[in-house]
Amino acid sequence: MEEMPQHRLSRLPDNSALKQQKLPAHRLHFTTTRVLFVFFTTGIFCLCMGIILMLSARRTQEIEINYTRTCANCAKLRETASNFDKECTCSIPFYLSEKMKGKVYMYYKLHGFHQNLYRYIRSRSNRQLVGKDVKAVENCYPFKTSNNDTPIVPCGAIANSMFNDTIILSYNINSSVQIKVPMLKTGLTWWTDKYIKFQNPSLKNLADEFRGTTKPPNWPNPIYELDKKDPRNNGFLNEDLIVWMRTAAFPTFKKLYGRLNQTHHFIEGLPAGSYSFNITYNFPVTRFQGEKSVVLSTLTWCGGNSLFLGLAYTVTGATALLAAFAMKAIHMMLKNKQMSFFHQ
Amino acid sequence: MTVPKEMPEKWARARPPPSWSRKKPSWGTEEERRARANDREYNEKFQYASNCIKTSKYNILTFLPVNLFEQFQEVANTYFLFLLILQLIPQISSLSWFTTIVPLVLVLTITAVKDATDDYFRHKSDNQVNNRQSQVLINGILQQEQWMNVCVGDIIKLENNQFVAADLLLLSSSEPHGLCYIETAELDGETNMKVRQAIPVTSELGDISKLAKFDGEVICEPPNNKLDKFSGTLYWKENKFPLSNQNMLLRGCVLRNTEWCFGLVIFAGPDTKLMQNSGRTKFKRTSIDRLMNTLVLWIFGFLVCMGVILAIGNAIWEHEVGTRFQVYLPWDEAVDSAFFSGFLSFWSYIIILNTVVPISLYVSVEVIRLGHSYFINWDKKMFCMKKRTPAEARTTTLNEELGQVEYIFSDKTGTLTQNIMVFNKCSIYGRSYGDVFDVLGHKAELGEKPEPVDFSFNPLADKKFLFWDPSLLEAVKIGDPHTHEFFRLLSLCHTVMSEEKNEGELYYKAQSPDEGALVTAARNFGFVFRSRTPKTITVHEMGTAITYQLLAILDFNNIRKRMSVIVRNPEGKIRLYCKGADTILLDRLHHSTQELLNTTMDHLNEYAGEGLRTLVLAYRDLDEEYYEEWAERRLQASLAQDSREDRLASVYEEVENNMMLLGATAIEDKLQQGVPETIALLTLANIKIWVLTGDKQETAVNIGYSCKMLTDDMTEVFIVTGHTVLEVREELRKAREKMMDSSRSVGNGFTYQETLSSSKLTSVLEAVAGEYALVINGHSLAHALEADMELEFLETACACKAVICCRVTPLQKAQVVELVKKYKKAVTLAIGDGANDVSMIKTAHIGVGISGQEGIQAVLASDYSFSQFKFLQRLLLVHGRWSYLRMCKFLCYFFYKNFAFTMVHFWFGFFCGFSAQTVYDQYFITLYNIVYTSLPVLAMGVFDQDVPEQRSMEYPKLYEPGQLNLLFNKREFFICIAQGIYTSVLMFFIPYGVFAEATRDDGTQLADYQSFAVTVATSLVIVVSVQIGLDTGYWTAINHFFIWGSLAVYFAILFAMHSNGLFDMFPNQFRFVGNAQNTLAQPTVWLTIVLTTVVCIMPVVAFRFLRLNLKPDLSDTVRYTQLVRKKQKAQHRCMRRVGRTGSRRSGYAFSHQEGFGELIMSGKNMRLSSLALSSFTTRSSSSWIESLRRKKSDSASSPSGSADKPLKG
Repeated sequence: MEEMPQHRLSRLPDNSALKQQKLPAHRLHFTTTRVLFVFFTTGIFCLCMGIILMLSARRTQEIEINYTRTCANCAKLRETASNFDKECTCSIPFYLSEKMKGKVYMYYKLHGFHQNLYRYIRSRSNRQLVGKDVKAVENCYPFKTSNNDTPIVPCGAIANSMFNDTIILSYNINSSVQIKVPMLKTGLTWWTDKYIKFQNPSLKNLADEFRGTTKPPNWPNPIYELDKKDPRNNGFLNEDLIVWMRTAAFPTFKKLYGRLNQTHHFIEGLPAGSYSFNITYNFPVTRFQGEKSVVLSTLTWCGGNSLFLGLAYTVTGATALLAAFAMKAIHMMLKNKQMSFFHQ
Repeated sequence: MTVPKEMPEKWARARPPPSWSRKKPSWGTEEERRARANDREYNEKFQYASNCIKTSKYNILTFLPVNLFEQFQEVANTYFLFLLILQLIPQISSLSWFTTIVPLVLVLTITAVKDATDDYFRHKSDNQVNNRQSQVLINGILQQEQWMNVCVGDIIKLENNQFVAADLLLLSSSEPHGLCYIETAELDGETNMKVRQAIPVTSELGDISKLAKFDGEVICEPPNNKLDKFSGTLYWKENKFPLSNQNMLLRGCVLRNTEWCFGLVIFAGPDTKLMQNSGRTKFKRTSIDRLMNTLVLWIFGFLVCMGVILAIGNAIWEHEVGTRFQVYLPWDEAVDSAFFSGFLSFWSYIIILNTVVPISLYVSVEVIRLGHSYFINWDKKMFCMKKRTPAEARTTTLNEELGQVEYIFSDKTGTLTQNIMVFNKCSIYGRSYGDVFDVLGHKAELGEKPEPVDFSFNPLADKKFLFWDPSLLEAVKIGDPHTHEFFRLLSLCHTVMSEEKNEGELYYKAQSPDEGALVTAARNFGFVFRSRTPKTITVHEMGTAITYQLLAILDFNNIRKRMSVIVRNPEGKIRLYCKGADTILLDRLHHSTQELLNTTMDHLNEYAGEGLRTLVLAYRDLDEEYYEEWAERRLQASLAQDSREDRLASVYEEVENNMMLLGATAIEDKLQQGVPETIALLTLANIKIWVLTGDKQETAVNIGYSCKMLTDDMTEVFIVTGHTVLEVREELRKAREKMMDSSRSVGNGFTYQETLSSSKLTSVLEAVAGEYALVINGHSLAHALEADMELEFLETACACKAVICCRVTPLQKAQVVELVKKYKKAVTLAIGDGANDVSMIKTAHIGVGISGQEGIQAVLASDYSFSQFKFLQRLLLVHGRWSYLRMCKFLCYFFYKNFAFTMVHFWFGFFCGFSAQTVYDQYFITLYNIVYTSLPVLAMGVFDQDVPEQRSMEYPKLYEPGQLNLLFNKREFFICIAQGIYTSVLMFFIPYGVFAEATRDDGTQLADYQSFAVTVATSLVIVVSVQIGLDTGYWTAINHFFIWGSLAVYFAILFAMHSNGLFDMFPNQFRFVGNAQNTLAQPTVWLTIVLTTVVCIMPVVAFRFLRLNLKPDLSDTVRYTQLVRKKQKAQHRCMRRVGRTGSRRSGYAFSHQEGFGELIMSGKNMRLSSLALSSFTTRSSSSWIESLRRKKSDSASSPSGSADKPLKG
C-alpha cells in the first residue's frame, strides 16, 4: 500500500530482477555424473564408516548379568510394600575370563520400566531441584505433598521411583580373599546437570534447609541423607539422583552406577578372575514384570558398545554402492538406446 | 486479499455492509415508496435510509469481536480453536497451550491486520463520498449540504461533471425539453453517454422559486437492483404522471454536457441502485483448493484412525502394565479404568498429531498466492505501454488455476479485436482499390507496406488515416464521377456528428466505429463531412462547401440491415443514398446493374475472404412527386398508434428499391496485436478456445479465420443454425456422425451405438481424427442448451478444435461456460471487456477483464485484468504454469514434511505406553512449522522455476501437466505421504537402534529422553532441509538465504532454548538445559544424524534419477536440452497473415444498435456541443438484457438468408 503514490506516478513496473522473476539462480540438475558421483562417494563413505564402527565396537567388552531371577527371594519380599524396612541382600558371582582393559563402567539396567510416560516425565519440579524454592512442588502431581500437606522433597513421580539398590562389585583375588573393587561415584553426570540444573539450597546444613518438607513415600531416607559420607554428593547434588532424574527415552535403559577407580589391582582395568556383585535389593520390579541387570562395560572413541550403528552404516554403504552400479547400468543401457540428452 | 486499486468511486465495488437489512424501515419490508418533494417532515415518517453510505464493516469498538467472529467461521480456524480448547483440559493436554496458540494467534493477527487495513481504506472512501458537497433546496434556498445529509424528497441541483448524489427523479435541466446527458461508466461500464429526459410538466420548473413550491408526490417501487427499470407515478396538482427509467438519474452517474439540472431524491444511500447492485461477488475456489480440502478431510480421518489405534494401545497397555506400574505412577484421579485412560489418550493423540495439518498450511498457501499475484502485477511484459496499464491480479486466490486452463471463452469485440475499424479496400463501379503492391508490382504481404498515400492536398484530411493504394486518390483527382458519387454517399449517408474545435480540426463522433471509418475515409479523399443541422448536411467536396438538404434518414436496424438518407442537392435533385449488407441490398438493385453486380460480387468475395467487413453502396434518384407522396405516407406511418415500427419499415422498404449499385466498401476489423499468435500458441498448449460473441455469424467467422482459430486446413467447419429443436439436434448429429465416420475410417474401431450410451463417448469424440470447428448461432444455441440436448451439444463442441458461438446473449455466454464447467470438470477461463461479458466472467473459474476500452465493468467483475489479449499467453503459459508448478511442489513438500515430523510420535507411542508423550521438545513442535521449515518452502513456492520463461512459450506442451492435473493429485499426495511416513520410520527407528545400546563417550547414559529428542529433531530438520534443497529447482540467493538461514536459526534457537540463562529464569519451562551442547558434542549423535539423512534422502535421489532416465517428462527434457545447450529450433509456428480465397461472404458491418437518426432529425440534441454525442444511443435503457431481447427476437424473426448457408471448409 505504500506503493500507491509511486504507482500513480508511473504505473510501469520496476525492471528489477526480483520483480521480473529473473533473479540470478543456480538450476538444480540431477545429471548422471553428479548423481552417480554422490552415490559412489556416499557408498564408500558409509561402508568405511561402518567397518570402522564395527571394528571399534568389537574392541569393547561388556558383561551383563540379569539378577531379577537370581535374587528371586528378594524380589518376592519387595513385592509387598509393608516389608520396606527389611533388608535383603543377594550375591551374584561371575567369572571374567578376559581382563577388561582401561576404563570400566558399571551400569544398572532396567527392563520394562517406563521412564518415558507423559505424566511421569512431567512429574518433577526443576525449580525445587535447582534449590531456588524447595517447597515448589506445583508440577509434581501425584507426588506433591504428603498426607499432611507437607511438600515432598524431591517431589514427583520420577524422584519417588528412584533406583535404590546398592551394588558392590567384589574381586576374589583368590578363593579366600575378596576385595571390594573401588568405584568412583563422581563424573556420572553431565556437567550442566551437576552445576546448573541441580543445586542444593546452600551447602551449610542440608537438614535445616529441608525443614518443613518430607521425603518421597518410596524413599527410606530423606534427601539430605542420600550420601551421608560425602557431603558433596548429598542432597540434590547426589549423582545417583541426578542420573535417575535424567529420564530414559525407552522402557529398557541402563544408567551409569559407578566408574572403576583405577588404583592398585585395577590400574589397567579389571583383571580376569572371579568376581561377585553384592546387591542390596531394594527396588521392586517384578510387580510390573520388569527386570534388573547389572552391566560392566568398556568404551571406545564413540561411546559404548553399539554394533547397530556399524551394521547400519555397512548395509547402507553396500546398498548405495549397489544402487550406484545398478543406476550406472541402467543409464548405459538407455544411452545405447539413443537417449542422448542425459549425456553430458 | 485484493490488491488495492485506484478507482474514482471505490465503494462501487465494495461489499455491502451486512447492516443493510437492519437499516430497513422498522415497519417491515417496504412495499412501495412515497416521497413528497420539499416536505421533509412527511418523508421522515417512513424512515427511509439516509444518503450516508457505509461499506466499512467495523468501527474501533466492534472490530475485534466482529472480526474474530468472522475469522472463526473459517473451518480451519475453528478446528485450531477446538484443539486449543482440548489442550486446556489438563487430563488430555499433551502439549503446552502455546504450541497451538502461537500459530493461531499469528494467523489471526495477520488476517486481522489485513482486514483492518482494508476497512480503513473503506472508511476513508466512505468519508470522502459522504462528505461530498451538493446543493440542496431547503426552504426555498439552495444550500450546500454534505451528501450524507441529503434526504429522500429533497430537491438537489447538479452541475456539469458532478456525480449524481442519489437516485434522482429528473425535474428540469438547462437543456431544452428537460434533456440531460449522463455517463454511466461507474454503473454499467458503458462509456457512451445516455440521455435522460424530465417529464414535460416538471421540465418547466427551471427556477428555484417554482421548484420550492413544487409539492408533487412520487409513489414508486421499493428499492431494487435493476439498473434499467423504474416504475413510479408522480401525483401533482391532482394529476398522475407515469415515470420510467428515462426520467431517472442514478447515483454513480456523472452529469455531462448539461449546465445544470434539478432532481428529486427518490432513493438515497444504501437504497440506491448502485449500492443495491454492488453485491458480494461469489468467492471462487481453485481445484487445488478443493483437492486440498478433500485431502485435509482424509488426513483428519487418518488422524482419527491413528488416534484410535493409539487409544486402543493405551487401553491395553494400561490394563496389562499400567495398572501394575501404579506404585511409581498412580493413575489420575479422574481415571478409573484402562478404558477411560484410552479414551483420554485418544484426545491427547489428536492434539499431538494435529500437526499433520498445520494451520501454517493455509497461511503459506495464501502467502505464495499473494507472491504470485505480485509477480503478475509487476510483470513488465504484461504492461501495455500505449495505455499505460499493468496487468493486475485482482484476486489472489486463483493463480495456480491459471496453469490448468483447458477452455478459454473469449469475447470478440474489444478482446480479440480492437474495435477499431479501418477503411481498407473498396470496389467502385467494378474496380477494386486498396490492394497493396510492392515495387515489383506483386501483391505485398502485410508488414512490408510501401509509403502510404499522401493526402496533403486536402487540408481537412485526418492525419491518422492511412491508405496504400494511390490509384484511388488519382481516380478522385481526375474526377471520376462514380468515385465522387461513392465518396459523396459515404459523406452523406451516416449518423455521425462532427465537432470542429478550431478551423479544420474535425472530430467525428460516430455511433459505431464502422461508420466513423467510412466517413473518415470520405473525408480524406476530399469529401469532408463538415457539419449538420437537423435539416442539412454540409460537405466540403474537393474544397467547395456544399450544403445538402436532409429530407429523411431511414435508420438502421437489425432487420433492415441497411440505412439510407434522402437528400436534396443544391441543384434541387432528390437522391436516396443507401448502404447496407450485401445480402439485403443485392435484391433491391435495379436489374440494369447485373453485370456490375457480378464484378462487385467477386470483389466482395475476395474481401470477405480476407476477413474484412463489407458494405454495399447504392443510390436512387427520386423525382419530386414520388418523394412528396412517399413523405406523406411516411408521416402517416410515423403517426400511427399501433405497429408503428412495422409500418415505417414497409414504407422504407418501398423507397429503397431499384437502386443503382455504386460499389462496396471493405473495412478491416483490426485484430488486437498478437491475437493470431496467441491463439495458435494456446491451441498448441491444448487449450480449447471458444469465441462467444454477440456479433453476427459472418463477422464472427471472419474473425475466426483472421485470428487463425479457423484455418483452411480444417477438415470441416460445421455450422449449426437450426431454428427448432429438431433441426439443431439433426445438425449436431450429422456433425458428430461425420467426425465419427472419419475417425472410424482412420481405424478407431468404435461404432457410434456402442459409445453413445457410455461415458466413453466424450473421450472417443475427443480422439477424432482431423480438425473440426463448430459455429453455432444464438437461436440454435438456445435449443442446444436445453436440458436434454446440452450433453449432445457439449460432446460435439468439445470434439471440435474451435467453437464459435455468435449472436449469443450475455446470459447464454454464462450458460455455455456453466455447461462446460458442469460436465467437463475442466478449468475454464472467460475473457472479455464489456458489460455483456460480466456474467461469463463471473461464471468461469477464472475471469479475465480487458482493461482500457469499453469501461470498467468487466474489469471489476474479473479476477485478472490486462489490456491486451496477447498477454493471456504469458498469464497462462508462464505465470499460470509456474504458479501451478510451485503450488504443487509446495503442497507435496508440505504434506511430506509434516508427516515426517508428526508420525514419529506414532512410532514412539509404542515405546512410551501410548501415553501421548511427544518425541520432541514442545518448543520445537511450536516452531517447526512456523520457523524452522516455513521459509525455505515458501521461497520455493514463490520463486521456483523448472524451465526459463521463454521455454514455456517455445514448448507450449509444457502446459499439459497442469491440465491433466499431473503434478498434484491423489496419487502424488499418497506418494508424498508415503515418503513422509518412510522418513518418520527411519527418523525414529535409526536413533532408537543406536540409542538403545550406546553410551556416551564418557560412559554416561546416551538414551535419555532429552538427548533422543534433540537427535531426532536435529536429523529431522536436516533431512527436510536437504529434501527442500533437492525440491528447489531454482536456487536463488533468497533460497540459499532461507535454507541455510533456517538451519542456522534452528541451531541458534536450540542452543538458546537450552541455555543456562533461560533455565535460571524459568526452570520449569526450559527443562532441556545443557542438552544441546551435551548431545551435539557426541560423535555417535552426529553419526546417527548423518546415517538418517543418507537413508532418507538416497532413495529419493535414486528415484528421481530413474524417473529422469526411464520416464522423463517434457519439462525434464527441455531442461536437459538446455543443459547440454543443444539449441533446438523453436517449435514456434511461423504465423503469417495469409489471405484466403474463400467463397465466404462478409456481411453487414454495423453495430447492432438502433441508430440515432430520429434524434438527429428531431433536432433535440442540436444545442449540444457535439462532444456530448460521443456515440450516445437511443438504446438508453443501457440494459444489455433489453437489447439482447431485441436482438434475439430480431434474429429469430429475420429470414436467415445467405447468412445461414453452410460454409465450405
